[in-house]
Amino acid sequence: MNGHLQADELLMIVAIASYVVGGLALLVYFFSRETWLRNLGAPLAIVGCVAQFAQLIVRYEITGIWPLLNLYGSLSLFAAMSVAIFIGFAIRYKLWFAGGFVLAIAAIFLAYGVTWNEGTMPPVPSLQSYWAKIHVPIVVSSYAAFLVAFVFSCVYLIKYYAEQRIANATVVASAALEGGGTVTVATPALSAAAAGGNPLAQWLETLPSLAQLDVIVYRAVAIGLPLISLGIITGAAWAKEAWGAYWQWDPKETAALCTWIIYLAYMHLHTRNAWRGLRTNWISVGGFVLVIFTYLGVNIWISGLHSYKM
Amino acid sequence: MATKVSALYDDFIRTFGNVLFAVLLFVVWGILTLIGVIVDQGKSATTYFDSYPAAIARAIIRLGFDNIYHSPWYVGIIGLILVSLTVCTFKRVIPARLPPLRPVKIDKIPLNASIYVRGSEASVRDRVESFFRSRGWSVRKREFGGEEWTFADKHNWARRGVLIAHLGFVIIAAGTTVYWAHGFSGETAIVTGQAVRIPETNAILKLDSFRYKITPILTKSGMVYQPTDYVSNVTVTGRDGIPKQMLVRVNHPIDIDGTLYYQASYGFATRMRVTHDGVNVASLSDRVLEEGEAFDIPGTRNTLVYDRFVPTVDKQSGMPAADPRVNDPAVILSVQQNGETAGTALVPLHTWIDLGNGWRVTPERYLLYSGFQYRYDPGIPLVGIGSLVLLSGLIISFYFLPARLYVRVDPSEAGCTVGVAAMTVKGYDIFAGQFQALLQDLQSSMEPPGPNPHLRKAEAY
Ligand code: HEM
Repeated sequence: MNGHLQADELLMIVAIASYVVGGLALLVYFFSRETWLRNLGAPLAIVGCVAQFAQLIVRYEITGIWPLLNLYGSLSLFAAMSVAIFIGFAIRYKLWFAGGFVLAIAAIFLAYGVTWNEGTMPPVPSLQSYWAKIHVPIVVSSYAAFLVAFVFSCVYLIKYYAEQRIANATVVASAALEGGGTVTVATPALSAAAAGGNPLAQWLETLPSLAQLDVIVYRAVAIGLPLISLGIITGAAWAKEAWGAYWQWDPKETAALCTWIIYLAYMHLHTRNAWRGLRTNWISVGGFVLVIFTYLGVNIWISGLHSYKM
Repeated sequence: MATKVSALYDDFIRTFGNVLFAVLLFVVWGILTLIGVIVDQGKSATTYFDSYPAAIARAIIRLGFDNIYHSPWYVGIIGLILVSLTVCTFKRVIPARLPPLRPVKIDKIPLNASIYVRGSEASVRDRVESFFRSRGWSVRKREFGGEEWTFADKHNWARRGVLIAHLGFVIIAAGTTVYWAHGFSGETAIVTGQAVRIPETNAILKLDSFRYKITPILTKSGMVYQPTDYVSNVTVTGRDGIPKQMLVRVNHPIDIDGTLYYQASYGFATRMRVTHDGVNVASLSDRVLEEGEAFDIPGTRNTLVYDRFVPTVDKQSGMPAADPRVNDPAVILSVQQNGETAGTALVPLHTWIDLGNGWRVTPERYLLYSGFQYRYDPGIPLVGIGSLVLLSGLIISFYFLPARLYVRVDPSEAGCTVGVAAMTVKGYDIFAGQFQALLQDLQSSMEPPGPNPHLRKAEAY
């Protein structure tokens, strides 16, 4: 028993250490583009993620209790799923440069989750349902997908505003040159500035184009939105069994509905050319703030049927 | 007059058919929902005045924000969304997502390329078509003004994904309306040994016994008494008149004639012995009170309230202990005068408390009661089906990208120029990479190697 417990703790230490070191390496890689940093950070991300899933399995083995029914287990799965989804994106679309942010956030959530580790605790009756086993991983995975969307939205916004700055600087330069002409297009200015040796512009050029970043965010939301829909549906099915009504307007489910609505708005606006890009990415950032409120804020500030924290 | 009505109608269609308007409705919906998360729902007016400044508390009550999800605002916004969704589906989504085959100006479409292929027009056309077919594109040909156009579609069926998602939402809304119209729900608490007739169904539930299981666990932050099971043994008599013994547990409701009964709560009822000048007052002593219940003391302005049961009194401090298992039980009683609490006391079972004027109350014995919720919801199948339809709509919309290629083959020099443009339902960026790869494949599959001066890079971004 004790040996098992040590394995469990050891895996958690491996995961956190991998995320911290891998995260730092990838954060530096984000700015410096030194290949060795990516070659260090990417495998560590994978090691950390595998260690986390192994840790959850080991915990289940030891306790015989589904490990996701408290904040410790669920935050741990959230971190693992965020990294797993990111790894999928990174491999498919060559996006390791953003890994530092994902790993750093995962490490923070994981460290926070560890503070909620109360040891083995049998679940209260309402949590003793197979729906709980289905519902929690789905909801947590949707949050993880929204985290990945959030990170790429941030990269989008960084790139967008940096490009604007360069474009504006170019306007000033050309205005000085030509005595008052207007230059409005941003991207050619970026290429020109990069060619002219502007380090910020050169760095920005190593990032995917704004259009590509926007598509990546869309793809992440396209994972999160069906998942949160399914999460709400399975939650409703469970509520029907446990509390008698599939919808009780409990703060947690209601906050999840809000999150669903904001990403639904994202998807609708994304069909519009004028809104796709800057504005939809701001919505994705706002959506993630709401995700965090739904996930943690409701438990901390608002009591309800879902607040299982002690 | 007629023109005024038709102008009004046009305005209505234009507004409700606009996605931005729909998003505005979503935002209002989201804000109302969030208000309900932040403001406690269904509490008494005094609770709001205790928690908020008076002006806000007054606004909460006046605007119905204390029961927001059943307020006209909430029902109204969902209604507007449904109207907007319907208008939008017919006026916008169907025309936009199911466009007819028509010619386009290829080089005006951002995602376009043209390649040069040697060979006769007919053979190039055949090869181009079979290339797209072999890649899973469904190819159709049409003539417009004597010019032949080739259209290649991928996931054309998925153009209906939005319609399916929208339909799912409508079905869910219909399901919830069915509940409002024909369903009911309620709750009842039954003391051990007693029977209750459910008014809506006439079913009779008798609580034979109630059990709860508490598991004490030593955690880092101290002892935690974790409830791990609640079980009610009941005898139920439904429409057939035959009593049946059944077991109700959390997550395991029972079904009596289509109405479901759920284990919802439990508590401790107490039988109090009430005496006046040492004489038992039978009318009061026969009652079993549940937590929160009260009775008036005859001939005085006092009301005795049974606040709550304390399963264990801490021996050292004499205060209620955290252990919810019954060890040294007591009750908390309070006396109210004209609605104001005059005093409160912790009274161990079998001991008495003097209320003055010769009145004495002794909590004699406790009985467990079990709280049940019951609900008849004929809308559930619709809500379930609607949810699945909605989910399939989302998956179709997000994972099957309908794209259409517009292909023209024009003779030029010794061969042909093949012009290809692509459009998708989600703009161009999302298809740019695939388009570029597809065109490269097309070119290499057409190509007996040689110079190909006409290949333009696909204009992706
Ligand atoms: C509330 C429930 C609703 C759901 C679940 C829903 C779902 C969807 C989905 C999944 C898409 C596809 C998005 C994409 O392909 O990226 C979509 C598109 C769309 N929806 Fe909704 N929608 C809802 C409400 C509405 C409302 C109220 C309107 C009214 C204006 C509306 C109008 C549209 C339009 C115009 C499109 C895009 C069609 C196009 O231009 O291609 N939706 N919807």
